[in-house]
Amino acid sequence: MPSTLTTFGYPSLDELRSSPGYPARERAEKGPVAVIECVQEIPCNPCETACPRGAIRVGIPITNLPALDADKCTGCGVCIPKCPGLAIFALDMTYSATEAALSFPHEYLPLPRPGDVVVAVDRGGKAVCASRVLRVSDRPANDRTAVVTIAIPKEHADRVRGIARRSEGNDIG
Amino acid sequence: MTEFDVAVIGAGPAGLAASIEAARRGCRVLLMDSNLRPGGQLVKQIHKFFGSKEHRAGTRGIDIAVGLHREALEAGVVFWPDTSVYGVFPGGALGAVRGMLGGEPRGVVVRASTLILATGASENAVNFPGWTLPGVMGAGAAQTMINVERVLPGRKVLMVGSGNVGLIVSYQLMQAGADVEAVVEALPRVGGYGVHAAKISRAGVPILTSHTVLRAFGETEITGAEIARIDESWTPVPGTSRRVDADLICIAAGLRPYARLAMLAGCRMTYSSALGGWLPLHDRAMRTSVPGVYVAGDVGGVEEASTALEEGRIAGISASERLGMIGAADAARDREEAEARLSSLRMGPFGRPRYDAKEAIYEEGANACPRP
Amino acid sequence: MDDELIVCRCEEVTAGEIRRAIRDGARDLSAVKRRTRAGMGLCQGRTCESLVVRLLCKELGLRAGDVAPASPRPPVVPVPFGAIGDPDEADH
Ligand SMILES: Cc1cc2nc3c(=O)[nH]c(=O)nc-3n(C[C@H](O)[C@H](O)[C@H](O)COP(=O)(O)OP(=O)(O)OC[C@H]3O[C@@H](n4cnc5c(N)ncnc54)[C@H](O)[C@@H]3O)c2cc1C
Ligand code: SF4
Ligand code: SF4
Ligand code: FES
Repeated sequence: MPSTLTTFGYPSLDELRSSPGYPARERAEKGPVAVIECVQEIPCNPCETACPRGAIRVGIPITNLPALDADKCTGCGVCIPKCPGLAIFALDMTYSATEAALSFPHEYLPLPRPGDVVVAVDRGGKAVCASRVLRVSDRPANDRTAVVTIAIPKEHADRVRGIARRSEGNDIG
Repeated sequence: MTEFDVAVIGAGPAGLAASIEAARRGCRVLLMDSNLRPGGQLVKQIHKFFGSKEHRAGTRGIDIAVGLHREALEAGVVFWPDTSVYGVFPGGALGAVRGMLGGEPRGVVVRASTLILATGASENAVNFPGWTLPGVMGAGAAQTMINVERVLPGRKVLMVGSGNVGLIVSYQLMQAGADVEAVVEALPRVGGYGVHAAKISRAGVPILTSHTVLRAFGETEITGAEIARIDESWTPVPGTSRRVDADLICIAAGLRPYARLAMLAGCRMTYSSALGGWLPLHDRAMRTSVPGVYVAGDVGGVEEASTALEEGRIAGISASERLGMIGAADAARDREEAEARLSSLRMGPFGRPRYDAKEAIYEEGANACPRP
Repeated sequence: MDDELIVCRCEEVTAGEIRRAIRDGARDLSAVKRRTRAGMGLCQGRTCESLVVRLLCKELGLRAGDVAPASPRPPVVPVPFGAIGDPDEADH
């Protein structure tokens, strides 16, 4: 079945919204929540064991899609660095009146620092807007997958999923 | 002459797991690998692995290798690094050369009543004008350079092939500081896992499906490549060709079982396109058509480290059974757990074709592969 | 594949030479190897084998599974000739 994911290499919002790991808009508006962008049945389940609140379920067989129980999820982000697919994000739509906070896994060095202004990119790597780095967590438990949190305008919350690897050659537009 | 109960060739996840299971059941096990470090493909894998707890999912490949090596030594496995097995002689003796990477190469002959072949896979080549220039290399070789030898083979990369290897090596080249200009894929769909593709897409790498490389430019080393869209018959579509600047073209056109030693040992071969090509026929217990010769991992069909681990465990149990270290009932029970996990790994859109192919092979193998 | 294109890089055998061998009757990898040396180089065909298979398929209308794998002969990995042992000789 051709899809945006298999044709271009990243999932469309429609593909994501019809998967069991993508929280409903109404839930996201209420407070921090995980966003799981894992829409193919692959043999993988570390996310399930990673969540201390039992909010992610893969079950048997291990190829089931991860399902998020958004009511149990607090958006703590513990699962983010545990996903080998780097497919889990956390979104806080209540960060401020105009901005959302997005946390994502990041494995490129040098790591950004809190306070840096960086280029936020969408799933296809296109520059979306400028963003402020709020936190960078690189604890030993993350095993070298840093979790970066940025502040972005709320209207881009469904679009932005990372930051440009290098700023050169990335025009904001 | 060196004598062991079990000789295991290849210290990837399959060979390591097989050695551990056999040694824990009391077999005297010799594990050999042509590389210095145990782990096979795992040595180059700095990314976190898929799978479940039993396969140490979420752990980086290299760390999985270190853990397995430790377990093997604790179980009493004798490990010979830098040992290349070049032949199987009539009667089952193995010819090997030790010390090719360090010191004086010297030949040894190893005798073992039971042989486990875990020799992994070979990379497929793609040829186009310029493919023999320096700067064109297999994705596996590029991965060894960045992750093991810590040298960057190029700064601007064109990746040919969008299977998991092409996607992961693209990502790791970027982590090492290179730019990946594009990934071209001849098929109309991305070959590897969507999450790996999404990772490099976020970094701005275009994945061009229905595209191929027509030629490499350059005199003494490559300076770029011509790529074009292709139609269903793989013919370039006129007017779609363009130049990509690159100083490295990486080929990730799939893997095929590396089964030469199995052929020398006399194993009957069978063909499976879903598993990468010709492979030694085997049954569910990883027995081949030759009594006392077992296979495990990519050599018996190209899959993943998680499946290689499980197949290795099964082969180690079967070898112990043959050597009388455990009874048939115990062996069957021990294998069952691993078999169940194997089946669950072979589900979903990526696993299902491999499941079907393996089941067909097991069925054919059930008659052709003698039980102890 | 153009005729000038190299297929076996170890032995510098072109697609044209392999096509000629096939037209002269080579039907499998071993026959192509005997006639052209493709696959006899340092890598023992590890690199060129899949490319030769592709040519055989194309020229003869076969599928990859119809082309039997080349029968290997020891040494299957490149090792220094002097180091190769005799199985009947003890080394310890
Ligand atoms: C880029 C990349 C990413 C991957 N990512 C994942 C992943 O995320 N999850 C996953 O489950 N799998 C992954 N895999 C697949 C996985 O690495 C392989 O399927 C797995 O390593 C196969 O294990 P094996 O033991 O069969 O063979 P290998 O790991 O290939 O080991 C075979 C060993 O045998 C040795 N050998 C061969 N012939 C001889 C000889 N004649 N004498 C002595 N030694 C010999 C070789 O040197 C090698 O060390 C990845 C593979 C690649 C290339
Ligand atoms: S964000 Fe926290 S609570 Fe939510 S799924 Fe992840 S680990 Fe569980
Ligand atoms: S750990 Fe990540 S890639 Fe694996 S199933 Fe969970 S979300 Fe998907
Ligand atoms: S490329 Fe043909 S033998 Fe090496």
